[in-house]
Amino acid sequence: MGNILIVAEIQKGKIREATLEMAAIAQKLAGPLGKEVKSVVLGKDIGAAAEELSKKGGGEVFAADHELLANYNVDAFTQATRTAIEAAGADLILVSNTPSGWDFAPRLAAGLDAGFVSDCFNIEEEGGKPVFVRRVFNGKLDARLLPQTDVVVATVQPGATAAFEGATDGKVTNLDAGIDAAAVRAKFIETKVAESKGVDLTKADIIVSGGRGVGAPEKFTETIQPLADALGGAMGASRPVVDAGWLPHEYQVGSSGQVVTPKLYIACGISGAIQHLVGMKASNFIVAINKDGDAPIFEVADVGVVGDLFEVVPALTKAISEAKGG
Amino acid sequence: MKIMVCLKQVPHQDARLDVRSDGTWIQEDNIKFEINSYDTYALEEALRVKDSGEAEVVVVSIGPDRVSQALRTALGMGADRAIHVNDAEAENSDALGIAKILASIAKEENPDLIMTGLMSDDGNFSAVGAMLAELVGIPHTTAVMKVEHTDSGLKLERELEGGALEVVELPRPCLIAVQTGINQVRYASLKGIMAAKKKPIDVKTAGDLGLAGQIAPKMKIEKVYTPPKGDGAEMIEGSTDEVVAKLVSKIKELGLL
Ligand SMILES: Cc1cc2nc3c(=O)[nH]c(=O)nc-3n(C[C@H](O)[C@H](O)[C@H](O)COP(=O)(O)OP(=O)(O)OC[C@H]3O[C@@H](n4cnc5c(N)ncnc54)[C@H](O)[C@@H]3O)c2cc1C
Ligand SMILES: Nc1ncnc2c1ncn2[C@@H]1O[C@H](COP(=O)(O)O)[C@@H](O)[C@H]1O
Repeated sequence: MGNILIVAEIQKGKIREATLEMAAIAQKLAGPLGKEVKSVVLGKDIGAAAEELSKKGGGEVFAADHELLANYNVDAFTQATRTAIEAAGADLILVSNTPSGWDFAPRLAAGLDAGFVSDCFNIEEEGGKPVFVRRVFNGKLDARLLPQTDVVVATVQPGATAAFEGATDGKVTNLDAGIDAAAVRAKFIETKVAESKGVDLTKADIIVSGGRGVGAPEKFTETIQPLADALGGAMGASRPVVDAGWLPHEYQVGSSGQVVTPKLYIACGISGAIQHLVGMKASNFIVAINKDGDAPIFEVADVGVVGDLFEVVPALTKAISEAKGG
Repeated sequence: MKIMVCLKQVPHQDARLDVRSDGTWIQEDNIKFEINSYDTYALEEALRVKDSGEAEVVVVSIGPDRVSQALRTALGMGADRAIHVNDAEAENSDALGIAKILASIAKEENPDLIMTGLMSDDGNFSAVGAMLAELVGIPHTTAVMKVEHTDSGLKLERELEGGALEVVELPRPCLIAVQTGINQVRYASLKGIMAAKKKPIDVKTAGDLGLAGQIAPKMKIEKVYTPPKGDGAEMIEGSTDEVVAKLVSKIKELGLL
């Protein structure tokens, strides 16, 4: 029986919150699964971060300090994690489902011929074995998965669990990551930050967003924008709207767009995939209008309307204008 | 240049999702299917290489009989030929099993570039691309939003969070898993659809590839189910007028009117 290995992620020199969430999951599972929690921190000059994690539920923390880990690099991260798995004697490897995690974790699993499960929002224990719970069909259904193999690599959805709260006194062990520079084929060039454009949704008090259900670019001008105008708010969108070129990227709300927290967020024809939800679920008050009563957006909404947005939205626009006029 | 594009056929985005009687997946009879959204962007990106010079585009899909429709569509859009792996064992496999099948095809085809989608719209694994690259022994990048072909390889922009991008270079041969929105996808023209009728679809089984008995799932789906309803929203019902009146009063309560 092997141990649990948390693959930590560094953000701005510190341990990322998502890593501490995995620490909470790992600490909860360790006893029932009869495993110890260990972690690996990959990067350059990471001593302080490794110390931090050892005190926040990371168990024994392996610090893999290497020039080629300074920036995310798929080949270097895969190699170093394999070294850490051996050092930790791990058979349950947890990685955050972030741009780096989803890039190398499946590759790692294939190399180990291990089981792989992505974007779990929960890992439970049943009969001494882990059970992985995740969304499928972009949030419309849940799935429970049972490993048929001893070694499993799992990615964990950021934000799904609270971060580890307690204090632990793990130790930090330096790890020679064993990186073969000749086998590092991918080359990191640079990171480009998002350019700030005209629309800054993060400053809006009211946002009316449209999704794929709006159906066509002109419908944004005819239906969504008028409600935003009537309320004195801004217009937003889900990703497929931007992908289709109906609106520019600065309108996109979600993990790869903007994270917004207005006083009022009205979602029209948006199903509520996790990548959209992370961009708006912290809004003060959420209204969802969707013709599918089972759409996951209703789980985060305060108020929901099951109906056709082309009926509800224009009528609401009219009523708001009247209320403001009178 | 030879480009292999991996396409999955998935339930149409607006299809009704009912869990089938054994509880482990959805009822797939009598619903519409389409090419996975991410994969249409991958195919378009490959076809653009072909449009701007020399390239052979080979599309590969694993799935039951219905998948031939997806492959015909891809051929209609401009792909040169298709490989269809139709195998009962593959139906019950997982991401790694699918990657193993695709890897054995890649080893026969020897493409300069493999393209997949970032994620399938049904299983949402986001795994097959990176696994395939590992099994073939080539480098990869996921969530690709921009591709520039250089003499020795590819200069890529991969998507990070919040609209940030990472610039990465990979030597060829390599694999890229494409993110949606990288391009605007073409439709198959009538002429393309006619031409596609003459293009070959090579049908194989896992056995033909020497993989019989080697693609059993390492992760087994115990069940799929409608997510339990939490506190959820207060649902407003009634006629449009009633609904709108209640919404207006909620917005007033918030002090926003
Ligand atoms: C790495 C990654 C990053 C991503 N980043 C983002 C992101 O930043 N933002 C984002 O939004 N998504 C993002 N996505 C995509 C995300 O997974 C979903 O695909 C997307 O959010 C779905 O958008 P949607 O809800 O508009 O479309 P759909 O899921 O297709 O939903 C459309 C909805 O409209 C409803 N509808 C249709 N017609 C009507 C009508 N007449 N009246 C009322 N309702 C109607 C339908 O019932 C359905 O619920 C990302 C995905 C990945 C993998
Ligand atoms: N059955 C399949 N046949 C061909 N390609 C597939 C299949 N399943 C997955 N893929 C490819 O792998 C990508 C990622 O899928 P997944 O890992 O299942 O989320 C898809 O976008 C496809 O390009």
